[in-house]
Amino acid sequence: MFEKVLIANRGEIALRIHRACHEMGIKTVAVHSTADAHAMHVRLADETVCIGPPAARASYLNVANILSAASITGADAIHPGLGFLSENADFAAAVEESGFTFIGPSPEHIRMMGDKVRAKAEAGRLGIPVVPGSPEAVRDIAEAERAARAIGYPVLLKASAGGGGRGMKLARNPVELAEQLPLAKAEAKAGFGDDAVYLERYLDRPRHIEVQLIGDGSGEIIHLGERDCSLQRSHQKILEETPSPGLRPNEREEVLALAVGAMRELCYKSAGTMEFLYQDGAFYFIEMNTRLQVEHPISEMISFVDVVREQLRIAAGERLSYRQSDIVLRGHAIECRINAENPEDFRPSPGRIGEYHAPGGLGVRVDSALYQGYTVPPFYDSLVSKLIVHGASREECVMRLRRALSEYVIDGIETTIPLHQRLADDPEFRRGNYDIHWLERFLAQAT
Amino acid sequence: MKVGPRRPLSPDANVIRALAGLLSETGLSEIEYAVGDHRIRVARESAGKTVLVNGHANGAHANGATHPSEAAEPGETAEAPAANGFRPRLDDPGLLTAPLVGVAYLASMPGTAPFVRTGDPIEKGQTLLIIEAMKVMNQIRAPRAGRLARILVADAEPVEYGAPLMLIE
Repeated sequence: MFEKVLIANRGEIALRIHRACHEMGIKTVAVHSTADAHAMHVRLADETVCIGPPAARASYLNVANILSAASITGADAIHPGLGFLSENADFAAAVEESGFTFIGPSPEHIRMMGDKVRAKAEAGRLGIPVVPGSPEAVRDIAEAERAARAIGYPVLLKASAGGGGRGMKLARNPVELAEQLPLAKAEAKAGFGDDAVYLERYLDRPRHIEVQLIGDGSGEIIHLGERDCSLQRSHQKILEETPSPGLRPNEREEVLALAVGAMRELCYKSAGTMEFLYQDGAFYFIEMNTRLQVEHPISEMISFVDVVREQLRIAAGERLSYRQSDIVLRGHAIECRINAENPEDFRPSPGRIGEYHAPGGLGVRVDSALYQGYTVPPFYDSLVSKLIVHGASREECVMRLRRALSEYVIDGIETTIPLHQRLADDPEFRRGNYDIHWLERFLAQAT
Repeated sequence: MKVGPRRPLSPDANVIRALAGLLSETGLSEIEYAVGDHRIRVARESAGKTVLVNGHANGAHANGATHPSEAAEPGETAEAPAANGFRPRLDDPGLLTAPLVGVAYLASMPGTAPFVRTGDPIEKGQTLLIIEAMKVMNQIRAPRAGRLARILVADAEPVEYGAPLMLIE
């Protein structure tokens, strides 16, 4: 096992990885920008190295400084967390070439799944249905129109190198397609440095269903059930739950078997997530995330498997701690992403935290890097806390969520807690009756 | 920067004796050596007397308070911690800080003369030290002319981004 792990990330996810390391007796190195000198992941780490100024491209994306930090601290391995360099195959390769272990999948799998067009082709080869779409990136409007006619309107324009919902545009007809194509290409270029865009059939009321998978590279794969991440705003997940309230048991078995079968064939190593759209009893693969995900804790709550611990063990060359038959999924779990944003117009709200009180009690977990007196910097993602609750049933879980939200005090900045409170009280949400467009309608009604 | 050594440190007399020896040898006024919760600081008052502080830190708050500047709020801090106890003002226009993470070297090779010595006149563009990162020797050049007032980093010392290196008057 590793003696010292460098965590190339910040915020709650850096803290999450630090916790797993310390529970395994592994020392941690926090790297940070000048803006994060007082962050909790830095305060708790055994060693710290400042790697650059606030701008992420000069610090958390600065490969040379991160590798130098690993070198001067004598770290054995680097955990990339999520976002930043976590799905950068070149970084994973550079880490290994510099003599450190990359805690994640092989650079080849990262590269395969990072190219969304190639990932869909690979899924097709592995026998997984995909949303009807253009087989390749469309170069110009003529190609786009041809592809859209073949797929059928409405169509979604998506960045080939993309993810996280950025660079996605909807076109209901050829006129809108001509309008949206240049915008989608520009956003893809700005967001991902590559203007390649492909088309996909737009489903009108799908749910977002994803499967948490862990492999050890030997072909052994376990799943920790599915997650329903349909509650999204601008393609950003807001609240996730497991199991999905919208799947029948036979449908659940189907999607889990599909995902496990595909990963077994790839001999996938480390944690990953296959994402699907689900509508009218059918699943369509959309993408695979070759990394830890923000919402992984809800799968941990129902399976009692520590996903980061498994990542560390597997990266160190060990086998999975569990066979599928060892894993029993119990109860229901929900995660609320609490962002430093105005809960109505979603304007970012960085600033200094005054009073801070995190909820507690049975079945309540808070993954957050906040503390009283901490200043949320304006340079990064607005996610400041994840409230995760577990209950024996969905009903118990929702009641516990309402109780926990009412206890949570984050003073000094605006947060999305009031939005989550409204959601938890909504009759449609409480019936589990929603799709990926539901939250946008819910927000539009409120204003 | 919190950086731990490769082997555990016990605050025994030999370690303290070795640090005190280093203090006289280097002419520094203070050396602080921290490993996890253990902290040893040997300091010399102006009269030349050696003072020993063996701190014992617990948890985040105590760690955070190891350097006064770490306990302060961003923005309020105008001082940078430096190896020899001298704390330059971060807004000092003559302060040279590390532009990258790596290991600082004051001479081109071990055993050779350093690039510069305290008190030397400095020309703009002159090489002052090297920072080794990813097996590449990066020459750090003087951003301005002047006189080298202080060297704030020891030879072969790991440096983080923004670490104070030298002060030019």
